[in-house]
Amino acid sequence: MEDTELGKKSLNRREFLAGTAAVLAGGSFLAACGGSTSTPSSNSTNYTFVLIQGVKGDPFYVTMQKGAQQMADKLGVKLLVDGPAQFSATLQAPIVDAYIAKKVDVMIIAACDKQAMIAPLQRANDAGIKVISVDTFIGNGDYASGPVTFPLSYIGSDNVQGGKIAGEALIKAIGNKGGIYIENVTPGISTTDQRQQGCVEAIQATNGAVMLVGSNYDNDSAATASQQVSALLSSSKGAQVNGIFGTNLFSAEGAAQAVKNANKQGQIKIANFDAPQEAINDLNNGAVDLVIAQKPADMGSTAVQYGVYALTGKTSSIQKRVPTGYVVIDKTNVNDPASQAAIYKSS
Amino acid sequence: MKVPDVAIPDANQSQPRKTALRPLDIVSRGWSWLFLLLLIIFFSITGQGFLNIYNFQTIGADMALVLIMALGQTFVIISGGIDLSTGFVMGMASVTAALVMSHMGGSVPLFVVVLAGVAAALGIGLIPGLVNGVIIARLRVPPFIVTLGMYGIARGAGFILSGGQPVSIQTNGIGQIGNAYLLYLLPDGRFSFFHLPSNLQGIRPSQIVQLLPFPLILLVVVTLICAWLLWQTRFGRHTYAVGGSEEASRRAGIPVVRHTILIYVFSALMASLAGVLYTMRFSNGAADVGDPLLLTSIAAVIIGGASLLGGEGTILGTVIGALIIAIIQNGLIFLGINPFWQFIAVGAVIILAVLVDQAKKKLV
Amino acid sequence: MADVQPILQVKDLYKRFGGLIAVDHVSLEIHPGEVIGLLGDNGAGKSTLIKMISGAYKPDGGQILLDGEAVSFSTPLEARRRGIETIYQDLALCENLDASANIFLGRERMRHQLGIFRVLNRSYMLRESRQVLDQLDIRIPELRNPIRQLSGGQRQAVSIARAVYWKAHLMIMDEPTAALGVPEQLKVLELIRTLRNQGVPVLLISHNMQDVFAVADRVIVMRRGSKAGERRISETNENEVVGLMVGAEYTRVVKQLHDAPEEMHITTHDESEKEIG
Repeated sequence: MEDTELGKKSLNRREFLAGTAAVLAGGSFLAACGGSTSTPSSNSTNYTFVLIQGVKGDPFYVTMQKGAQQMADKLGVKLLVDGPAQFSATLQAPIVDAYIAKKVDVMIIAACDKQAMIAPLQRANDAGIKVISVDTFIGNGDYASGPVTFPLSYIGSDNVQGGKIAGEALIKAIGNKGGIYIENVTPGISTTDQRQQGCVEAIQATNGAVMLVGSNYDNDSAATASQQVSALLSSSKGAQVNGIFGTNLFSAEGAAQAVKNANKQGQIKIANFDAPQEAINDLNNGAVDLVIAQKPADMGSTAVQYGVYALTGKTSSIQKRVPTGYVVIDKTNVNDPASQAAIYKSS
Repeated sequence: MKVPDVAIPDANQSQPRKTALRPLDIVSRGWSWLFLLLLIIFFSITGQGFLNIYNFQTIGADMALVLIMALGQTFVIISGGIDLSTGFVMGMASVTAALVMSHMGGSVPLFVVVLAGVAAALGIGLIPGLVNGVIIARLRVPPFIVTLGMYGIARGAGFILSGGQPVSIQTNGIGQIGNAYLLYLLPDGRFSFFHLPSNLQGIRPSQIVQLLPFPLILLVVVTLICAWLLWQTRFGRHTYAVGGSEEASRRAGIPVVRHTILIYVFSALMASLAGVLYTMRFSNGAADVGDPLLLTSIAAVIIGGASLLGGEGTILGTVIGALIIAIIQNGLIFLGINPFWQFIAVGAVIILAVLVDQAKKKLV
Repeated sequence: MADVQPILQVKDLYKRFGGLIAVDHVSLEIHPGEVIGLLGDNGAGKSTLIKMISGAYKPDGGQILLDGEAVSFSTPLEARRRGIETIYQDLALCENLDASANIFLGRERMRHQLGIFRVLNRSYMLRESRQVLDQLDIRIPELRNPIRQLSGGQRQAVSIARAVYWKAHLMIMDEPTAALGVPEQLKVLELIRTLRNQGVPVLLISHNMQDVFAVADRVIVMRRGSKAGERRISETNENEVVGLMVGAEYTRVVKQLHDAPEEMHITTHDESEKEIG
């Protein structure tokens, strides 16, 4: 067979050389015409921004996109939106590289891994693209004096504070005593790790009245979360659980499902971080007791605003850290206009 | 002493070559080439900025991880098997490399650190490779099942090794090597190899021309070695033989058991190499970094002309397969099309590849 | 021929599988340049006998002597090393490889590249394959095509050429012409004759009586594990051979049916008697 390969190889070796020569010739020609080394066009008002989401299709990022698009339309800027199919740096990095080649002016990104995405974003920065972090950060998020300082700004929730708010609300809901379990996503994601941190701090502040029963990672899968919580509830530790904190939508959803299956709805209180419609539905039918909504639309619009500031030289208006706020929604205020406005859109 | 064959109709003739179909034959053999060329032309015309050196180099560098895994997978698939564990072996290896490299002190010369990381990663890759190979070859359990099991084991092992968290490397030098280019050209005519020239006063980074990123260099070297292995060595030929007929190979005296074990070890080692490359590029190692790439790497091998039944496939084909996928993914971004279309596009190309292969067999 | 040392001698070979005696004290001899047809109905024990000679099975009793020397093979590879080449019905070829790759399968010829690397010596293998195929007058126009593109007869030929190239001392063929068209069957028979003329003895299992009578010198018939009979082809005919294969009782019935059917009574299950006439 491989001697057919010999024929195939020599046939294709010629084609390969011809094809490569053609491509290299063409590429060099275009490069010589100023293709690869010129800076992104900064002299026209036709700015191009790209919003690179953490994962495509997630209502949180869809809401962020809407906020960004609104601001982009208002400021007359072209906004592209993209994102990996899974929340993974392996998949996000090539997307960053492609947009670098596409020579966008500003890259707004929710990095999938705070360490791994440093190198690709450094490349973007070196290519002259303004980099702005939304939702998650790279390095340690301190772009003023931390290990990574090239991004313009980190615009996102203070997730430690968010976790603390969730923790405190949950502690109150379970009567200030008992056990809390944390269902988390994937280690390494800055946001969810910080939410856990905040919740743990809230628990520690009770000085032993409330204790941490345990925590686990579900890789952003509601099914896995449900499995893990079901197993927990059936185990000997199950009786100690009075409240569960889901650090993101799927984690909370899965936990709610497990609690429902165990017929402990209402007995075990659940706090849900992130507020897509499903979470509100869960709130309304009692599966979940607290929903903490971030403000992704604000993140998006601020990021676009900052991008324009940077391009037009108004760098003094750019703060290195913009903490966006929370709306805590429970059964008592779910129908208030503020709460309704905070619900994430899925399209 | 030849017996005159006067009376015997010439049974020597093979089926007469249908010369009229010769051009079709070339097309079917070279279709993936043509397709690739067409793709490049299409995206160059329709997407602004697609066709330039920087983009092509980054496509090459970004596809390195998938292609390195696919190269190992090529050998496995040609031999009639499949390896589903490569994604998590890659993750496990990246964690191992990251752990080793970050634990070595700053006083150790950089290239020793890199070597140590590589050695550790390859060493750990031996384990799943051996286990896969032995169970498949000795215990005769189907490869799909064994490697599916190893998929889970490697995943768990990776998370346990890393303590559930991604492992970061703080030593700056590693990332610099992983992201380095062979040649840097400054606008004032200066140049240097492997690292940025010193004294960059007044020169913006975007003015520096960078040629041949490290992952691409590694990729080219590894591809050439694999091509040599598959084409020129006895190991390569035996791979085709076992894939063509395991029984015939056995009877011919080929040590099938040993060969099978070697194949799966090779696949695991390639996955581990991809893991080290990941660590060096991202200064980070985690158990799940390779998982998103598994199906893509298998798709590349299939698009490249390998048959899941074994016996067919080439290194060149796999390279083209990986290129086609990478260019579709990259080109669609330039086109500004909803990125979900890339899944449809890649899926369609896989089906097309299999169809052309079937048609090719019928024509001959 | 009878004075020459037999290449293969099988003495009282015995093999049982559990309660079934597959080969029951069978003895035979093969001399250089002889073609022996091994006949027998299904289950007669031909395959088992062959497999013991070729090293796939270990005999439970008896002896195998090769060139006068007692041998005992634990694997088929050992038998092959002693020059016993077996061509199975499924040919044991790799369809995806070309003719020369198949001829050298497992015994690839290597050469040195850049002084240190051992790589396949393709030109040598192609050349040698071309030579042996020419020697056997087998025409395969494009040696570098995978053999799945060749006809059944050509594939058989490659299988045979492989055995010949590696200096087969004794060739065993299991149903070589089954699944071949008539012209190709003739070609294979021609190859067998060529082998005989080159002094290589052939032990041929075949269901095809015509083939056997066309090419064999002697025929050995097995029935139910034992040797039912042995004849020189020149001294027997098809009927006699069939008779040996199926047994005397059945032969008598057949003979009578043929010669004097009116004297036969055929009883059906409902006990009514009918006469054929």
